[in-house]
Amino acid sequence: MTVAAETPVHRSRRRRSRLRQWTRASVPYLLILPAIAVITAILGYPLYKLVVLSFQQYGLPELIQRTGVWIGFDNYASVLRDDVFWDTLLRTVIFTVATVGLTIGLGTLIAFLLTRVSSWVRVLLTAGLVLAWSMPAVVAVQVWFWMTNLQNGILNHVLTEAGVGDFAQHDWYETSFSKLAMVSLLIVWDAIPFVTITVYAGLAQVPRELVEAAEIDGAGSLRIFRDVTYPILKPIFLILTSLSIIWDFGVFTQPYLLIGASQVDPSNYLMGVYVFIEAFGQSDFGRGAAISLLMLLIVAILSVFYVRRMVKMGDVR
Amino acid sequence: MNVRAFAAAVLVAALAVAAVGATGASGGKTADTLTVWLQVDAQSGWPEVVAAANAQFKAQNPGWDVDVQYQTWNTHLSKFDATLAGNSAPDVIEMGNTEMTKYMAAGAFQDLTANTFPNKSTWLAGLAKSGQYGGKIYGVPYYAGSRVITYRTDLFRAVNGKIPTSVAEFSALARKLGAKNKEKSFSPVYIAGTDWYFAMSFVYDYGGTIAVTNKGKWIGTLDRPKAVAGLTAFKRFYDAASRASKTTDEVRPNPYDVYAQGNAASIQGPAWFSCCVGDFKNRTAQFVMPSRTKGQPIPGFLGGSDLAVPIGANKAQAAAWISAFTDNASMTALRAKGNIPNTTSLLGTSVNERAAKRSWFVPTAKHWVNVENGNVLRTMLSRILTNKMSVKDAAEVASDNITFTLNQR
Repeated sequence: MTVAAETPVHRSRRRRSRLRQWTRASVPYLLILPAIAVITAILGYPLYKLVVLSFQQYGLPELIQRTGVWIGFDNYASVLRDDVFWDTLLRTVIFTVATVGLTIGLGTLIAFLLTRVSSWVRVLLTAGLVLAWSMPAVVAVQVWFWMTNLQNGILNHVLTEAGVGDFAQHDWYETSFSKLAMVSLLIVWDAIPFVTITVYAGLAQVPRELVEAAEIDGAGSLRIFRDVTYPILKPIFLILTSLSIIWDFGVFTQPYLLIGASQVDPSNYLMGVYVFIEAFGQSDFGRGAAISLLMLLIVAILSVFYVRRMVKMGDVR
Repeated sequence: MNVRAFAAAVLVAALAVAAVGATGASGGKTADTLTVWLQVDAQSGWPEVVAAANAQFKAQNPGWDVDVQYQTWNTHLSKFDATLAGNSAPDVIEMGNTEMTKYMAAGAFQDLTANTFPNKSTWLAGLAKSGQYGGKIYGVPYYAGSRVITYRTDLFRAVNGKIPTSVAEFSALARKLGAKNKEKSFSPVYIAGTDWYFAMSFVYDYGGTIAVTNKGKWIGTLDRPKAVAGLTAFKRFYDAASRASKTTDEVRPNPYDVYAQGNAASIQGPAWFSCCVGDFKNRTAQFVMPSRTKGQPIPGFLGGSDLAVPIGANKAQAAAWISAFTDNASMTALRAKGNIPNTTSLLGTSVNERAAKRSWFVPTAKHWVNVENGNVLRTMLSRILTNKMSVKDAAEVASDNITFTLNQR
């Protein structure tokens, strides 16, 4: 049909259908508009304030007067020139890699274990996992420290009684490495349930016949995991890994409380603790804002890699 | 929505949340409720004094209520900062005397110069000075305390131990106590490894200092020979006397808890520690920590607290509550608990007051509290005690750090 041949009726019908199409297409956007408005209000505005703060000299006197002094990139320059920042960054990256690796590795193994055990063991195990998951971090830290402290910790007692060695008065928090190792273990313990339950749910989607076919063809469990299970679960692993990275990179509660406010120092800072001490311990809020924005940038760069992988990956379904 | 798009959306949201973080401000003012921040010391040591002050205040200010919120030393300043930003600061706040300068300089408190308080003319000079800045009064002295040795009379008697009159005698006694009580978790003198208040007493006993001023600039001095000798003596005494963790502080665990569990023959700390010794109440006494010089007390840290009124608070009511909390009845009760009262008119000759005869105080620099918050001295002590660094090297690192911190803009 050519334009010249169109009758008015045709034209109006087409216009109406175009309108309807447009309306239909815009409905989803209209529906998410309230959500976007709320997110902008509660996340966008603080983020904007944070950016403004990072360009200001904003210490205790400014906090009380409520007026920052604009100093351009001085906060960023002083942070980037600070050895403590780079040491802390490197330490945090290593800490994050180790913690995320342990979390995903152990969580996946337990998920596989769940598929192999009898149903009542599975229920018990899942209940235990959910309990561990629901334990507030602050409470977990207290219990953990109580179990591992030097003066009367039950861990030292049990290890000594079990004949592992003489652990009486053993200080699990003596070196920076051991302090952070204890923090890492606590976080792994806390994070495993989420990984296990998610992977276990994902495993239900792996078609039974694919696994059976592979078994018949003589593939071992490792081979089946690599070539059958893992490709199907890949999106789940990607999202679990990237979420874990974001959480562990900026973790604050566990390291600050377990190491203790009076023991955190530049030799055991993680980024979350470092930004807290700079901003609140030293009352230099502008500098703290600059550090937290740099942290955001680093995590964003780390995550872009994963997001791109996810976008590139074909639709699994 | 497919898996990828959903995952990407979750990631973006998580990132945004991670960036913004969360700072919650507690406290808050409602009309006719006076919010008071005291340290937990009052909660465990003298809750009845607080209750009496509240009752007196409420009787004098009908319709007013008091909300006492107990804070811990390690966290109260960052919480206070958050409430200053959120316009919800408490009406009265207890500040450590080492913490006052930074906040007075920043203009965080209301001027109390014109207000009248009990015993204002006889306030303890040293403590009153910590609440004054630029000729104005911002802090009302609350109480002071020196640190003493709280000990088990039965355990001391079992080794024929007399009250030591020098550090050398005390070390020898500690070795005897250790030989008699072989339990590995038992400390003849429980001292937390990073208790810098105690360690610095040795520094001052040997004639050292933490920092001095020269032409308006601060210089860290812990790496000078006298201070190093003091730190070395501290390490020697610690090794002879304490089985505490070399990396822990004096609140985790509380020394009096260790003592109450029977794991220490003596503990070092504020005189009010005798409050919480459990079943050993009748077998507990106190003496003054001796110096290296026979017959002298060691210079002790004169700790103390001031009560201040943050900007934006109800000044009249806050001052009225402070008056009730620091009157003669309160001070007499605080003294009975083993504290040094805020007025010379009530001073006596308790163990605490004798210990206060030789004392030292932190450098009165605007940024001193940043040295405390950065755990500079604690880090130095754990490095020394765990032999990760020599005394001299650890002291040099700490000293450079102190010079840098105190001279910041």
